[in-house]
Amino acid sequence: MSKPKVAFFDFASCEGCQLQIANLEEEVLDLINIVDVVSFREVMKEHVETYDIAFIEGSIMRPMDEERLKEIRNHAKILVALGACAAIGGVNKIRNQWDVDNVKKDVYGNAKIKDNKYFDVFKTKAVDEVVKVDFYIHGCPINRDEFKKVVISLVMGKTPEIPTYPVCVECKKNENVCLFELGKFCIGPITRAGCNAICPSNGSPCEGCRGILNEPQDECVQEILERYDLTIEELKNRCTMYNYGKEECKDE
Amino acid sequence: MKSIVKEDLNSFVDALIQDTGYEVHGVQAKGEKFVFAPLESSKDLRLDYDVTILPPKKYFLPQYEDMMNFKLNKEYSVTPQKVDKKQILIGVHPYDIVALEQTDKVYLDEQKDDFYEKRRKNTIIIGVDIQNVSDQSFAGSLGTHYVESGFDLMLTNIGKKYLITIGSKKGEDLLKKYAQTKDAKDTEVKEINKVRANTLNSYKKHVRITDADSWSKLLVSNYENSIWEEKSSKCLECSSCTMVCPTCFCYDVKDDVSLNLQDGSRVRTWDGCLLKDFTKVGSGEVFREDLKKRYRHRFFRKGNYLAERYGFIACVGCGRCSIACLPNIASPCDVINELTHFGGEGKKDEFFIKQKSHSDEKGTIHVPRKAIIKKKEKLTECETLFTLEFEDKKPLGHKPGQFVELSIFGVGEAPFGISSAPSTEPSFDVVVRKVGNLTSKLFTLKKGDSVGIRGPLGNGFDVEEFEDKHLIFVSGGTGMIPMRSLIEHCLDKKNRSKFKYVKILYGAKRPCDVLFQDKIAGWEKCEDVTCKLTVDTCQDGECWVGSVGLVTALFPKLHVDRIDPKNTKAVVIGPPVMFKFVIKCLQTIGIDDKDIFVSLERRMKCGVGKCGHCQINGVYCCKEGPVFNYAEIKNLPEAFE
Repeated sequence: MSKPKVAFFDFASCEGCQLQIANLEEEVLDLINIVDVVSFREVMKEHVETYDIAFIEGSIMRPMDEERLKEIRNHAKILVALGACAAIGGVNKIRNQWDVDNVKKDVYGNAKIKDNKYFDVFKTKAVDEVVKVDFYIHGCPINRDEFKKVVISLVMGKTPEIPTYPVCVECKKNENVCLFELGKFCIGPITRAGCNAICPSNGSPCEGCRGILNEPQDECVQEILERYDLTIEELKNRCTMYNYGKEECKDE
Repeated sequence: MKSIVKEDLNSFVDALIQDTGYEVHGVQAKGEKFVFAPLESSKDLRLDYDVTILPPKKYFLPQYEDMMNFKLNKEYSVTPQKVDKKQILIGVHPYDIVALEQTDKVYLDEQKDDFYEKRRKNTIIIGVDIQNVSDQSFAGSLGTHYVESGFDLMLTNIGKKYLITIGSKKGEDLLKKYAQTKDAKDTEVKEINKVRANTLNSYKKHVRITDADSWSKLLVSNYENSIWEEKSSKCLECSSCTMVCPTCFCYDVKDDVSLNLQDGSRVRTWDGCLLKDFTKVGSGEVFREDLKKRYRHRFFRKGNYLAERYGFIACVGCGRCSIACLPNIASPCDVINELTHFGGEGKKDEFFIKQKSHSDEKGTIHVPRKAIIKKKEKLTECETLFTLEFEDKKPLGHKPGQFVELSIFGVGEAPFGISSAPSTEPSFDVVVRKVGNLTSKLFTLKKGDSVGIRGPLGNGFDVEEFEDKHLIFVSGGTGMIPMRSLIEHCLDKKNRSKFKYVKILYGAKRPCDVLFQDKIAGWEKCEDVTCKLTVDTCQDGECWVGSVGLVTALFPKLHVDRIDPKNTKAVVIGPPVMFKFVIKCLQTIGIDDKDIFVSLERRMKCGVGKCGHCQINGVYCCKEGPVFNYAEIKNLPEAFE
């Protein structure tokens, strides 16, 4: 079996998801036994333009990003969105709440950026809003085990299986005290699992970084807010962190 | 009955931890809640707990359980997981003991789950009578707040001392060896009833009806009640209720491959019927997709499906689901109490059919046997036939209509109907349509490669019932795959004289999708056999001599006047939409429902009635089916939805 050539690319992101891969440490050796990493800015200086699998980290913010992404799509047989910024837009989409020009003014003040293409931003897009995404690795950051599973699947010619059930399933298996019972607002019940409920297991409420699965009906939301004495604002804030623009973040 | 002072109980627990060689787990605090966890000292033990977050089922059906390890760098290598850890659980409440005994009924039935069985055998249970009642629990009204058996030792707090009821020789030996006890005085023994009466009085929640029969009747009468819609509209679909439930034991199985691609393990993990993909089959079809139906299923499983099968309410009133459910819609107590306002005297066994006897695979029920691909033949664009044979050449021993679970390690396992007649054994055929990972991988295998096989599984056709009868076989699409097994069996020279005329109706999508064209040509040549074929569409230029239209349109060509409906048996196999219409045609020509047989498709994951995925109301498609008598199954609302 010839090893598939793999390349990593980053757009608007913290590159933390690629760092997760670099942090595989000794397992990186196993990884490069099954794939041929031809481009990975964070860990190597070589770069080759021929690759089979492209992992894309980051959101798409500018026309120049779009061009570059389309170019990558043309080269790659398989394109994988790596992490929340790429898969769902993630924290970068928080910005979409405001008008782009106002945001620029707020951030850059009177700096001369008008004709500078690097500052030519539009509303944040997830990767699949620009090109076809074959597979998703969710999370902020990604879960290393899930990354390995996806790579193994791709190398074996399988379609990676990404959970379609919510974080509660994993959280319950970990036998955590439910954060709602501790007065915290967690969106694990509606967020895609696959992270092994890492945040709730460590006492932090789920922020929904793997994307919203089900949109609960209003009756359900009302019931929970009342029962746990929480406000709709708290729900909105929770959903805005990674999932701005999703239906359930609408006003009451 | 023994008694032990509290300090001595602590010493006993510490001795168990230090001296027995068993892993000792006990109830401990986790924040303000309680969990079963490895016990390091008697100081951590909290026998005064109300309820643990997870029930002790995690010790018998772990959240993630390696069932077997396989190697991918060898041709076929699989080793079942050894389950030899000996453990002691301290502080199990009576309702959880009842739940374990219920699980035994399912997991230790005629097809024993060997992993579960070993864990049960290797575990010593030290129970404790409830000292603090959980707000959400209603075990008192179900009578599960105490038990007389199911434990090795049972502790009861009577103030300064604990009483110890001995439940087994193992428990007695432990006491003798590690504990300072005295024989309990008569006055002390009487305390037990007081303690239990006190517990009973402490319950805040009560379910109005308390026996399996009444739950069952009430639920069946209210199958269409609006409560399911109302409550499920608040459901988050998170399945927390099933995860924390001591009597929810459905599971999923996945293959994990190591990063070296050389080895891996087959892992089973808890699954829940509230989850959308719980019933999803390979072709993508989802049964019970509607949330209302999934929500209802959970209650029916507890109060009707398992109740009818085993005679117990599969809810022990622990209240964990109510604690876990954020919108507070999970409590069986609340639902049953609400339903009592509507009343109900339904036929309680309406959604259940009697279990048929079926072939019992010997040995382990989970580990497949090695089979070799003897022949691979492309039938259509999407379907390929694989002829398989066990490596040891032992016959499969199947009946037409049965299925096998086929494994490719590292990819997974899926059910396939057997397509060949029993007479071709020891080799047997499966016909595979490329739809997912497993089937795609199977397509890459060659003659001589090996796969894993479990089976034959399920209930096949009772061919003796067809003797001296006219036969009508109606198949649609891939329904022809299992039908071929039956047709070839009936047309086999040795058997042909046992059956009267055979009429075969078969509908496919397009001419190029028609399976077994050469076989069909052979069947047509047999005496007293009619084959009528149809396709949904036929493109210009495609060669096709059969009809165009739905399979039901073939019925007029059957020469209805020559059919003797009273002496005819009909078999229907096809996609879900087909059944209703074909059965109507059969009824129209006068064939009685009891003379109609169907084979249904569901997600038959374990194949042995445990994992829960293939349930059609109270019926396991993998055990009572996939072949059903139509008269028996027609009233199951989920059968032909």
